[in-house]
Amino acid sequence: MSDNNLNEAQKRVGVYVCHCGGNISDVVDIKKIVDEISKYHSVVVARDYVFMCSSNGQSLIEDDIKNMGINRIVVAACMPSLHELTFRNAIQRAGLNPYLYEHINIREQVSWVHKDNPQGATSKAILLIKAGVEKVLMQDPLNAIRVNAEHRVLIIGGGISGMRAAVSSADNGIEVVIVEKEKKLGGKLNRDGYVYPSDEKAVDIVNKFSKKILSNPLIKVYTESEIINIGGYVGNFDIKIKKTDGDIDNIKAGSIIVATGFDHYMPYDGEYGYKKSDYVLRLKEFIELLSKSDGLEFVFKGKKINSIGFIHCVGSRQNEGIDAPQADGKVNEYCSRVCCTSGIYTMNKLKEKFPDVNVYDVYADIRTYGMESESLYEIASKHDVIFFRRPLDERPQITFEGDKIKITTTDILSFNERLEMEVDMLVLLTGMKPSEIDDISGYLKLSKSTNRFLQEVHPKLRPVEMNINGVFAAGTSLSPMDITESLQSAQTAAMKSAILLSNPDIPLDPFVAVVDEERCTGCGRCVEECLYSGAVTITEKTIDGNIKKVAYVNPAMCKGCGACVAVCSERAIDLNGSRLSQFEAMIDAIVKE
Amino acid sequence: MQQNNKSKILIIATNHSSYPGANAVGQAHISYPSNTYIIRVPDPVMFPEDFYINSFKKGISGIIIMSSGSDCPYEGAYKRLSKRIENVYIKMKELNISTERLRLTTICTVCREAFIKEISDMERIVSK
Ligand SMILES: Cc1cc2nc3c(=O)[nH]c(=O)nc-3n(C[C@H](O)[C@H](O)[C@H](O)COP(=O)(O)OP(=O)(O)OC[C@H]3O[C@@H](n4cnc5c(N)ncnc54)[C@H](O)[C@@H]3O)c2cc1C
Ligand code: SF4
Ligand code: SF4
Repeated sequence: MSDNNLNEAQKRVGVYVCHCGGNISDVVDIKKIVDEISKYHSVVVARDYVFMCSSNGQSLIEDDIKNMGINRIVVAACMPSLHELTFRNAIQRAGLNPYLYEHINIREQVSWVHKDNPQGATSKAILLIKAGVEKVLMQDPLNAIRVNAEHRVLIIGGGISGMRAAVSSADNGIEVVIVEKEKKLGGKLNRDGYVYPSDEKAVDIVNKFSKKILSNPLIKVYTESEIINIGGYVGNFDIKIKKTDGDIDNIKAGSIIVATGFDHYMPYDGEYGYKKSDYVLRLKEFIELLSKSDGLEFVFKGKKINSIGFIHCVGSRQNEGIDAPQADGKVNEYCSRVCCTSGIYTMNKLKEKFPDVNVYDVYADIRTYGMESESLYEIASKHDVIFFRRPLDERPQITFEGDKIKITTTDILSFNERLEMEVDMLVLLTGMKPSEIDDISGYLKLSKSTNRFLQEVHPKLRPVEMNINGVFAAGTSLSPMDITESLQSAQTAAMKSAILLSNPDIPLDPFVAVVDEERCTGCGRCVEECLYSGAVTITEKTIDGNIKKVAYVNPAMCKGCGACVAVCSERAIDLNGSRLSQFEAMIDAIVKE
Repeated sequence: MQQNNKSKILIIATNHSSYPGANAVGQAHISYPSNTYIIRVPDPVMFPEDFYINSFKKGISGIIIMSSGSDCPYEGAYKRLSKRIENVYIKMKELNISTERLRLTTICTVCREAFIKEISDMERIVSK
């Protein structure tokens, strides 16, 4: 491993520029970058590769460390949150300290935003890489800080996702605390009626999981309880839970799985006639009504139901300018993914119970994805459900005539004919909206997508991982999913949390403040400026035989914000990995040309 | 190089908030001028007042500090930062550097429009 005491001439920088398929190289001139960077001071080698993150790309770096004595690495590629860890691991495998590396983002912050100016993009990339070289030259080897981890996971939300995550975590020998705000576990599956694809009663699924949970000594359940604060960090989260009786429990957890689910979409008054008539129902309400209705005829509130219309995408796949905005001023652009299948599954259930009821289905697209769900559509056709396809930018009109509900729509399937049909009941295929969890996402500082669901670090490369170390999400808190998909994501979250907690201590990034004791005068300004009491204190130390007052940083308590750095007139306190002098050197490189 | 004579804008972006915000702009493939240089920091609260003055003296034309605002994981950092920037403005006035060239703002992980607006405002100022 290299050490802090290398002189400038001994620092050998390798620069690795990624094409990212064509994502970067279609805009920036990679050859020009490599040519110019290879001439830059301290750079011993500059290479490019089609996918730097692939195992071949990583091997380029590893081989150069081993064969050419490269001891400082700059990778210019996509955003660091995707592959910083990949490259750190590769560097470590080759025997170099993994922090002797700087990552420059030339995809999200160069090629993708300067498509119209390839020359400008190339020049910018070159300057940023040079700035990266300057930074890494001043980088010291660092060692991860190891903190003891609580062998316990907090699961927020006791729907099917939370329950699955709890059972899987306990199967891995990890203690579980579930906090559910409602009286019972089960979430949206605490309802009457059946579910696809297993054709089971929703509550039967809930009961199966509840039994496992309530009989497992490793799992503690809080129902009708609320989380009122979360502090701490990975391995050591501090959680305050307010119970039904008003008492507060404090618990500690090493990791957290957010499984707060979704809210049912509620149409505004009058949206497709909702609340204008008792016979306009949301899908959820209709499923429950149907499961309670028996006999030879379908009767609701004294009226015999001979015909029912279904309308897809209510509250989902909305368009600005066509649909009314939600409370935040935006429309729900996403597809709720379950309402097509659940709706058609429910039409089949209706036809099995009351074969004489005529069913008309107005859709934009049918998204009954998955092998088993596709057959539901075929069965519906055999049941004589009549399908009408509306244009994407048009909405069916609903009017009321006597006790009839009139649907008017354009039908693409009959060559854009305007059609009118009268029905006795109308069912709106309402989907999902993100649940209101500003409190939880606020305590944990979680990222949300533009659709307001929680956002994973990367849906393909790092699914279920949140932007905060040690926090995972499962099920419909992430995006609309059916039960099968929710269970899968919950299982993934439980496994990732179990892997994290499998060691008694967790490595933390070493990006905390450090004190140069020789320079420090013990003035205490940093202590006053620090945001966290106890993170930096003044102590007495014997240095060269003399007792001296100096600042001392507690690395487990320092959050690495750097507030202290700004106020030290001696430049005696600095941030590991983000030294003030490193940024100054970067700026010098940026202004140089 | 064509860029040589162009004024350079330094963007100070935070790990937690505005740096991912800048990535969100990239993911949406929204274009902005290429004389913009983003440096990634834990929090701009780490920079002493002289850091800004020196950057201007070195040749940076405009600085946009994209702080995390209410999303900031370091409670109290913004208050300290804005106090610091007030002092920088005083120094800038003393040195006859237009205070418009330093902008303190907050950008969240999905604030794409605000990010673009800050850049186009600063472009206008530095091209004056
Ligand atoms: C109309 C409709 C029909 C559907 N039909 C089917 C079907 O037939 N088959 C199928 O596979 N899928 C179906 N689905 C999808 C299915 O309902 C979901 O996949 C499933 O319920 C997701 O479970 P979850 O645990 O992620 O979320 P939820 O069921 O929403 O559970 C989340 C839980 O978290 C709790 N919670 C929220 N916030 C907090 C907080 N701050 N503190 C504590 N607790 C909190 C909630 O109270 C809730 O118990 C349907 C969905 C809709 C809308
Ligand atoms: S699943 Fe079907 S009904 Fe639901 S939003 Fe998507 S396309 Fe529309
Ligand atoms: S690190 Fe700087 S601010 Fe802190 S006590 Fe030492 S000299 Fe003073």
